[in-house]
Amino acid sequence: MFWKRQVPIAIAAIIGFITLFGWFVDEPHIESFVNDDATQWYDILASFAIFLGALNLLKLQGQKIIKQQKGWFYSVLAILGFTFSFIAGFIMLGAYTVEVTEVVGSETAVADVLAEEIHMDAEATGNIVRLISPEEPYPIESPYFTRKGAEKVVSALTASGARAEVQPADWGGHLSTRGSLFNWMFRFIFTPLSATMFALLAFFVASASYRAFRIRNFEATLLLVSGIIIMLGRVPIGGRISSWFIMYIIALALGAGANTWFKNRVVTLATVGGGLLVVTIAGFITGWPIDQPAIFYLPVLQDWIYNYPNVAGARAIMIGIGLGIFATSIKYILGIERSYIGE
Amino acid sequence: MGKPVLYVPGIMDMDQVETVAGVIVLGHVAKMTARYETSLNVPVSRAIVMKSARESCRESYLLEGRPDLFHDDMVHYLTDDQFAYAAGVNGIMLREEPAACLYMGKFYAESLLLAETGNSIGAIQIAGTASPAQIPFFVTACDYTLIGEEFFAASAYLSSEPELIGGVYGQDLLKIGVVSAIGISVLWRLFFDLGWLSYSVLDFLTIQ
Repeated sequence: MFWKRQVPIAIAAIIGFITLFGWFVDEPHIESFVNDDATQWYDILASFAIFLGALNLLKLQGQKIIKQQKGWFYSVLAILGFTFSFIAGFIMLGAYTVEVTEVVGSETAVADVLAEEIHMDAEATGNIVRLISPEEPYPIESPYFTRKGAEKVVSALTASGARAEVQPADWGGHLSTRGSLFNWMFRFIFTPLSATMFALLAFFVASASYRAFRIRNFEATLLLVSGIIIMLGRVPIGGRISSWFIMYIIALALGAGANTWFKNRVVTLATVGGGLLVVTIAGFITGWPIDQPAIFYLPVLQDWIYNYPNVAGARAIMIGIGLGIFATSIKYILGIERSYIGE
Repeated sequence: MGKPVLYVPGIMDMDQVETVAGVIVLGHVAKMTARYETSLNVPVSRAIVMKSARESCRESYLLEGRPDLFHDDMVHYLTDDQFAYAAGVNGIMLREEPAACLYMGKFYAESLLLAETGNSIGAIQIAGTASPAQIPFFVTACDYTLIGEEFFAASAYLSSEPELIGGVYGQDLLKIGVVSAIGISVLWRLFFDLGWLSYSVLDFLTIQ
């Protein structure tokens, strides 16, 4: 119990206090601990912990395949993907660059071989070949996944009259070398898949917006109106909509409101008619300026909604979040809240 | 009946206070699932969170007197990557069709992917996060949402321990203080602008 209870609480309390006071005390050692050491410790711990995660993943997916549970073939893909990434990252370097150091034979023959490798026409390749010298060797930009593949190109270049050698990428650096096996996997498998998931968000936003904007009550209507104003006000067409048009719509909306409230045709007619008349007279007096009165001009109106009611609400939530984080952190540091160790 | 409960403790590590709060709420959820003999599925995106969440669940099942129902794999690791994790959790939702989906922790763009998928399978959804940008998505797609500080207060409220409830009370007092300070500052500024006061609140608040 001592190791599972008191020791973790003591570590959380001591490190928590040091980290907290690190922001208030002007002491270089504590500052260095807070800004660098503590984060590095965490990164090291997390790096080791990833093995636990990977083993857990393999174990569960393996069990699914053995028991042939629902969707077990996805587990096969998961394990294949894991194995491929592991091999491309840890076992297979997958990045061998060929460097042409000198042309000793016919430039045309070398250019012909090189053109196939760098996917350029013979004339452009010929210009490159003419510039190659031991002082300025030419590395073929896209590396080869295997040493054998790179050596095959070296042989072809040597046979055509060039001197070339294979340059393997550094271990570790091969992960970010453009064109390496790992980098290829990242760019052409992982990135498109992630982008696909992210792109799905657009459709989910549409369905969620539809649900949120359905007119059910006053709040939903307010949300719908604000949403439309913000969306229209932020696109160029919003700037082309006259504030007078908005005022006419408001006059009609007031009429609809009056009708709902009073349920009297005369009152509704008076509200709509009066509203339209006032707006029209005001328009003729002022000369119908598109952006006046400014409060009814969509770009200005959306700006106001965004900067005032929206910011006020967001700040209220932020103040609450800040206080919540502060109170929760203090509870952890003082050891009052111990649920995170299962107590 | 008999459908599992899916609990998502966010996509960040234990260095985020929201994740810790999510793990704490998980303990309470695990107690409920142990009590009602319901299966619990907790896919996580960080290995340290997996260990921590597993310990929390183990303790909860022990406290409820049902250690036989607990197994390590109820808390399992998927991936560290944001969208791969979202894809994995969505897959679990569509295959297992959980009766309840709980999202408690720190979320980013994957929040809506998860919540909308949960909504599409008709699960009861409860979310809690302190990520301001994700709150509207959860409010739209979930049945109940713990907004910001409510999320942090949830664990204290669920524990019913006086010293933890006291923290929530303290937060409320601080909020009253903050709101009062804002109100007084606005009035002070208004009176200054009207010429009724000669000393501006901005001079008072600005460090010279």
